[in-house]
Amino acid sequence: MIQHLLHISHVSKHFGGNVAVSDVSFSVEEEQIFGLIGPNGAGKTTLFNCITGFFPATSGDVIFDTKKINALRPDEICKLGMARTWQRVKPLGSLTVLENVMVGAFSVTTVAKEAEANAKEQLQVVGLNDYATKSAGSLPIGLKKKLELARVLATRPKMLLLDEICGGLNHTETDTILDIIRGIRKKGATIIFIEHDMKAVTSICDRIVVLNSGEKLAEGTPGEITTNPDVIAAYLGGGHHA
Amino acid sequence: MSFLQPLISGILTGGVYALAGIGMSLVFGVMNISNFAHGDLMMLGMYLAFFAFTLLHIDPYISLVLIIPISFLFGYMMERIFINKVIHHPHQNQILLTIGLGLIMSNTALLAFTSDPKILTTTYSSSAFTLFGDVSVSVPLLLSFLITCGITLILYLFLSKTSTGMALRATSQNREAAQLMGINVAKMSAIAFGIGTALAATAGALIAPTYYIHPLAGHTFLLKAFTICVLGGLGSVVGAGVGGIIIGVVEAMSSTYLSSDWKDVIVFLIFLAVLLLRPQGLFGKKGGQ
Amino acid sequence: MKQIAFLAVLAAVALALPLVIGENPYIIGILISMLMMAALSSAWNILGGYAGQYSFGHAAYFGAGAYTTLILLTLYNLNPLFCIAVGIVVASIIALVTGSIVFRLRGHYFGLASIAVAEVVRLSVLNFNFTGGAQGILLSDVALWDLDLNSKTPFYYGMLLVLVVTLSITAYLRRSKTGYYLQAIREDQDAAASLGINIYFYKNKALLLSAALTSVLGSLYGLYIRFIDTSAVLDLRLSIEIILTAIIGGVGTLWGPVIGALLLVPLAEILRSNLIGDVLIKAGLVSETSGVGLFLKGSLANAHVLLYGIITVLCILYLPKGILGLFRRKK
Repeated sequence: MIQHLLHISHVSKHFGGNVAVSDVSFSVEEEQIFGLIGPNGAGKTTLFNCITGFFPATSGDVIFDTKKINALRPDEICKLGMARTWQRVKPLGSLTVLENVMVGAFSVTTVAKEAEANAKEQLQVVGLNDYATKSAGSLPIGLKKKLELARVLATRPKMLLLDEICGGLNHTETDTILDIIRGIRKKGATIIFIEHDMKAVTSICDRIVVLNSGEKLAEGTPGEITTNPDVIAAYLGGGHHA
Repeated sequence: MSFLQPLISGILTGGVYALAGIGMSLVFGVMNISNFAHGDLMMLGMYLAFFAFTLLHIDPYISLVLIIPISFLFGYMMERIFINKVIHHPHQNQILLTIGLGLIMSNTALLAFTSDPKILTTTYSSSAFTLFGDVSVSVPLLLSFLITCGITLILYLFLSKTSTGMALRATSQNREAAQLMGINVAKMSAIAFGIGTALAATAGALIAPTYYIHPLAGHTFLLKAFTICVLGGLGSVVGAGVGGIIIGVVEAMSSTYLSSDWKDVIVFLIFLAVLLLRPQGLFGKKGGQ
Repeated sequence: MKQIAFLAVLAAVALALPLVIGENPYIIGILISMLMMAALSSAWNILGGYAGQYSFGHAAYFGAGAYTTLILLTLYNLNPLFCIAVGIVVASIIALVTGSIVFRLRGHYFGLASIAVAEVVRLSVLNFNFTGGAQGILLSDVALWDLDLNSKTPFYYGMLLVLVVTLSITAYLRRSKTGYYLQAIREDQDAAASLGINIYFYKNKALLLSAALTSVLGSLYGLYIRFIDTSAVLDLRLSIEIILTAIIGGVGTLWGPVIGALLLVPLAEILRSNLIGDVLIKAGLVSETSGVGLFLKGSLANAHVLLYGIITVLCILYLPKGILGLFRRKK
């Protein structure tokens, strides 16, 4: 039997009269790298916010690891093993890089020494160990993205939701991050990936869902998605860079 | 005693509170700053009216013609010199700066005017007429209320009909977008703060004939103005107007049916209840932000 | 090693100070004020500096401690330690009510609500009878343990103890999970929540801790001064003094509040005691009976609050990170 780690069932999110996400369903299997793509304003980030408890869904269910999590707070969801990064990075500016990652690590331990060891390990994973004592606010954007990644890894998540983790990065930086993500999956984590960079998505994802105007437009393997005429019309033809 | 008595005096006083609340709400909306010097600006308005009356023999209501432009300029300069330096700071720094400015104003007033309360007695200060048989209506309160209505109407027309007014509202709705549209948001902030100051000073001048004038009077009014703004919805000018009337009525009712000692407690409890039950206020849109 | 040596010297000086200056009640009084303000500001700093939640109403917790302790002592003559403990409970209840109302909200609300709660407490104390109303409470001839009522020295050590405890808690917190979590909340609440931090819980935890320590200081102050009224222990001015002390020294640092108190308390004392006027008059620069002399003698004593205002403005504009901020190495 296939293990569904995350099951999204008819999720909608309304803001007043605006429908940001409309009746979206899909399932993510364990150790999958799952892509969530779509033009700007398609509702990707809103869907992330619904899943991770920042804006509870107006209707529909989010089931994670056989547990219904719609009504849980973000911190409770994080404790269950689902962690997210932010499209607009949110470093804890006046703390050091190491301390930022330790904050994540404290969700699995209360002992400062253990948190520090865990944090150092994650800095190693993303290659930020040389910056441990720098203040997080002073890092350039590429390193801030890596810091986001290290920080959520320190919470030892079963599932990672990465919101445009490669956004604003050059090719070399993107490739480094993609390598890191592949490494993380090898260790058993499941990943959902919001991305604009079509090349990045098709090269790394096992399965992709396309959102358009809040609705699910298509779902399939990268091969199916890139040849789907609806997707090409809505996404690629819509004037948005791929 | 008739139920109408506290209702009517409450509405009349509430009108003046509303003016102070609108001033604070405008500043909050345009600049996203909680102005803790607002009560002290009211206190300055009280003293301006007092000295216009005692030194220049100008009736407090007529003296508004002087007080409004003077206080507008005062507020405009205050924004230019101090407040705009912290517009991008964390909001606690903004609060502390306005607290500091308020302390400077109130304690300078304390040194200059001493702590003896002043009383502004006009010929009509205690005159009243009777309505519906047994409801007495204070003449100065009624005059203040009517002037408040006039000023609010002018402010409304200014905000909705003039280009500066519309630019102010645009800045209030979305500062970044307003800036992109070519609105000089820095100037708008100074204008908003000037108007806010003028409204506070006007409210102060309007209540001067019916209150003790004291250097530390601003403290009580500050908290009232906050309650009004939060009740109406932070940044909502209409909400502040309605909030002011509600607070005026609540005060008058609690003085009549409870005790005047407890009226401020009731007002602050309402403030806390609004935060608990409806933090966006009666007219606010966004919740909890 | 250097740090431990520094702390040891500091502790030795603090412990020996009363012995060196003898029983000069004036000097001891100023030292007690300094220790108390340093401790108050440090307690505020846990919530305001580390968690970033600026309370503008800490006088409420100070007053809760002072009033509870003095009321219980005068009415029932209970053990002072027990009274202090009840003070902590009262302050904690006020803190929990405040926290549960506003910590679900963001932005300006906590600051505003903290003032509103403090005003409700102040006005209630003023209006109730059992609190002594506007007259306040006088702790006349109640004996405290076996203390000599004329000696201030025991209170010097009492305040010192609370300061040391507060600083130790802060120092411990900084290196603990809670301390990191509070700082994360201060820096970015969304990021903090996404990393598994229950924001509501940790803000309340910081508030409770801060309020409890503040209330102990209020109790000690009441026992020391033996007379309290709302303007002494529940005024907004006290709340602002507490914040200002932290700001001047450096918000969110261990030693900032102590440095702030070392500077601000003597400064206020110089103005309050009219030292400047006296010196000018004694030096023959100003005649005692001239207008300037009368002004200096009569009004300058009230000017310390004006000075607080000026310092606040200058500090926010030019030194928002406080004195310690100047020495922080840039990372």
